Amino acid sequence: MKTVRLLTLSSLFAASAALAHTMNVVPSHYVQSKTGSLITVDLFASNMTFQADKGVGVDGFKVILPDGTVAKAASAAQGKRKSIADVELPVAGTYRLEMGGQPRYFTSYKVAGEQKRLMGDKQKAAKELPKDATDVVTTQGRNRAMAFVTVNGPTDTVLKTTGQGLEFSFDRHPADIVAGEAVTVTLTLNGKPAAGVKADLSFDGELYRNDPARQHLVTNQAGQFSFTPANAGRYLLEASAEAALQSAKADKIREGFTLSFEAALP
Amino acid sequence: MKKSCRVALVLALGLSGPAVAGDLEISLQLPKISEGQYLRPYVAVWVEDSNEKSVRLIEIWREKPDWIKDLRRFWRKTGRADQPLVDGRTGATKGPGTYQLRWDGKDDQGAAVANGEYQLVIEAAREHGGRQLVKQKFTWDGSAISLNVAAGNEIGQVQLSRKAP
Repeated sequence: MKTVRLLTLSSLFAASAALAHTMNVVPSHYVQSKTGSLITVDLFASNMTFQADKGVGVDGFKVILPDGTVAKAASAAQGKRKSIADVELPVAGTYRLEMGGQPRYFTSYKVAGEQKRLMGDKQKAAKELPKDATDVVTTQGRNRAMAFVTVNGPTDTVLKTTGQGLEFSFDRHPADIVAGEAVTVTLTLNGKPAAGVKADLSFDGELYRNDPARQHLVTNQAGQFSFTPANAGRYLLEASAEAALQSAKADKIREGFTLSFEAALP
Repeated sequence: MKKSCRVALVLALGLSGPAVAGDLEISLQLPKISEGQYLRPYVAVWVEDSNEKSVRLIEIWREKPDWIKDLRRFWRKTGRADQPLVDGRTGATKGPGTYQLRWDGKDDQGAAVANGEYQLVIEAAREHGGRQLVKQKFTWDGSAISLNVAAGNEIGQVQLSRKAP
């Protein structure tokens, strides 16, 4: 009895820890006025916005150059509270820094009314599921943490959406987000506007104020919401969405992203 | 052909506008700062139209390219998109004092701007120091201009003047 309870607790903890922690990609600079420089990027999981709690594996970190090609960090190291990566910026334009991005599959099911889960897609589940399993749902999950860095003139190649999963587009370039000016965000799921998706917008310094002052935003029928950053500083946008999926691997897709960005001084 | 067209255009403009278009005279003071470490500020002076779009870069006083981005508005509105323009207008950084600048009413391409509402924008940022942005609206329609902007921490008194013809 005791063993069972312990197991349940630990699995609950694993699930809640995975949900509670936010992945962050936070560059030392979002804007540079010289090519050929290096920036250092913090990679960590956090509860409070931009308060590093846990360093993450650096293998999943990549740099998308202004022309769309993918590069690795010049160097990277995992720390206990945060990991860091040095990134070279050899050319002008906008770079995308990204953590994660690989889809993961898990299958949830019930046996005699008890909820269980195994890691694997539909094919793997078909082999491993107990014969009496019911309510079987396989989810394709993907989480990405991102930031955009712009050297000299901004470019759009790394902002383009692919029609795959949950994606966002702004009505202005990320390098043009300015305190006091409204920004409209469009969320799409597999290329179509995603209505009713919840997003959270938070800003730097939660450790040093009582009210985190997060904005809870929801997309309208056009898949859009708007916000106006009141002050210049660093912001974090988080969103996730679910949808049915027609695939040999999963029944459902769950997609999430976090984007760190700065609102510049007017 | 092209040349004669341009001459005709200039004549037409000359006839429809004031007889002699006076320049906008700009007096810009950089304050003496004695608190803390002092390094000369990076300063940009430019003119924006009523949509806050930069139409003419007047001066940029700076040294290394690394820090131009700290003139946040200048970099976003003008600097990042046009390196040759920035290089062409670059001057050395300047210490405390009063500086006389002028705008001849032309855009970056050398064409006279249309009559209307404009604003003079001055941005200053200092390493180990502060940053300040001054925006002063004015009407550019040939009439006289006399405007004063009170001194701030990083940008001292600014005076705009234009004599009516």
